[in-house]
Amino acid sequence: MALAVTLLSLLAMGLQYRLVETRLMDASRALLTADLNGFAALYEQRRIIALRQAIDYRAAAHTGGEMLLLADRKGVVLAGTEPAWPEGLTKTGEGFTADGAEVFVRGGERWLAVARDLPGGFPLLVARSLAPVDATLASLRRGMAALGLALLAAGALVGWFAARSVMGRIGRINALADRVAAGELSARLEGARSHDEFGLLETHVHAMLDRIENLNRATHRLSDTIAHELRTPLNRMTQKLARIEGQDDLANDLKSEMRAAIRVFDSLLDISRAEADQGSGGGLVPVDLSRVAQEVWELYEPLAEDKGLRCTLTVDPDCRVLGDRNLIAQMLSNLLDNAIKYCAAGDELRLILQETPDRHLLTIADTGPGLPDEMKDQAFERFVRADRDKDRGIKGHGLGLALVRAIAARHGAKLGLPQVEKGFVLEIGWPKLSADP
Amino acid sequence: MDRILIVEDDSETAEAVAAEVRGLGLEPVIKTTLDEGIAASALDFRVIVLDRMLPGGDGVEAIARMRAGGARGLILVLSALGRAANRVEGLEKGADDYLPKPFEPEELRARLRALLRRGTMQVLDNDLLAFGDLEIRLKARTVHVKRGHVAVSPKEFELLTYFARNAGQVVTRMQLLENVWKLHFDPGTNVVDVHVGRLRRKLEEAGSQAIQTARGEGYVFAPLAGAVI
Repeated sequence: MALAVTLLSLLAMGLQYRLVETRLMDASRALLTADLNGFAALYEQRRIIALRQAIDYRAAAHTGGEMLLLADRKGVVLAGTEPAWPEGLTKTGEGFTADGAEVFVRGGERWLAVARDLPGGFPLLVARSLAPVDATLASLRRGMAALGLALLAAGALVGWFAARSVMGRIGRINALADRVAAGELSARLEGARSHDEFGLLETHVHAMLDRIENLNRATHRLSDTIAHELRTPLNRMTQKLARIEGQDDLANDLKSEMRAAIRVFDSLLDISRAEADQGSGGGLVPVDLSRVAQEVWELYEPLAEDKGLRCTLTVDPDCRVLGDRNLIAQMLSNLLDNAIKYCAAGDELRLILQETPDRHLLTIADTGPGLPDEMKDQAFERFVRADRDKDRGIKGHGLGLALVRAIAARHGAKLGLPQVEKGFVLEIGWPKLSADP
Repeated sequence: MDRILIVEDDSETAEAVAAEVRGLGLEPVIKTTLDEGIAASALDFRVIVLDRMLPGGDGVEAIARMRAGGARGLILVLSALGRAANRVEGLEKGADDYLPKPFEPEELRARLRALLRRGTMQVLDNDLLAFGDLEIRLKARTVHVKRGHVAVSPKEFELLTYFARNAGQVVTRMQLLENVWKLHFDPGTNVVDVHVGRLRRKLEEAGSQAIQTARGEGYVFAPLAGAVI
């Protein structure tokens, strides 16, 4: 922008320069014409003699601004300011008009010259120095260059200030977006808004954030309400069940059915909560993944051993992540519970936590039946269950792996299902947290 | 008579809690709004049973205000907000225990007993917990039955210690999962049973019948008569 303005100004100045140059040349030409007219008048009267006298007289005055020369037919100088005819200057015509005046350089100056061969072979040179013209033009050029530079500098300065102000205001909005992305949904910009596009942008961003915050709050309120409206009547039922006597088996069946129903609802609410919180670091704290893995493993190992599984735990120490201990434990518990449920006596169950250069890689592997091929793509979707499980009477709701995926996403961890010949292998790559607190 | 404050807006639940409180030989006082509950909490109560979604606000958010107002009773949050995240939040905000609804009367009774006991229990600074011929050495982390050493895993030792601290009372699976494993979700399968079963077998092989099943409720650590706690 600043460059364009400067260019336009330079163009205008260039035009003006041309105009001045033309005017000055015209003025020089007019002077030359006047000179020639004077010499012509003298020549009319007494030919070469008068001319020679006039040139002598003028040469004696030696103004420096003119070059005069009259020679005879042999080239001997009769009168003039120059000792000899300048080289490279050709004589044209005989008259005293200024037509065909040419510019030549001598002594570092430009001259506007008329060279004639007067009748009888007398060469005549009448020239005027263009030094004043050049000096004027040079100072004009200097002035224009200085002005151009000043314009550029001013343009750059104005541009810098404008950009700085724009960047500053965009930076404010970016900083706000960063805070929101970090989980601070209630973050807003302080201070009054300006009455321009930026103010409008801030207003729009605030309106969007208000809406997101309201939706988020509504989601949380809804899950709280669902919990309240579901659990309060279930609670009354439980209290009444406790009063039933003599039908313990039936009462216990009902209790475990209710417990299972609550687990499904909790899983659904946990999944949607983890998905809603995905990408925000809010609520996550440094967690020793190695320790959680070990603790959950120790909880399930006796169960697996009792079922006849061969169990191996390999955990690198001090693998730290930013996380929610309870969610991670829930995830591992789901995975181990699944493995134990599907494996048979003699199968192998392994939990491995390795520190790799860029991630903490947690692998759970078993040699059980694995995922059916047709289910691999959607194993992590809600309520997806293998038909063979339903046939075999294995209980479940198809929420376990969906919760695993949601919890992984909440922690920014990546799931991988490597191809294996037999069994189920799941890899979870956790973002590392540096060892320093 | 010692009193227990119940802040609960659902009358049936409040009555069920009150019945358990009376069963424990204490006097229940019921308040149905958060403000009344906060006002009453400064009085002398052993335990405050606190609901969350109350007329007037969230009970958990009011714990700090109750404490600032001079409430000294131990706080048991009893709420429909029963997901693991809710429970952890409640405990982090100062609740002494957190029981999700729906709750079974036995579970509430066990929790109330544990809290009442915690209120009177002196700090166990001595190294030795002795129950007849069953001895637990806390510093060395060893268990002896009839002078013979019983090899237990670190987790089994923690489990036994928790039982010992609640000797004579029913301890539920949920309590064990929360207090020994620090897990606040329902794993679905009764993983805890396997651990208790192993510990129990080890003790039985050494000649101690200390751990017994309380049918439908949980377990009881019932040391031999004449035990010294």
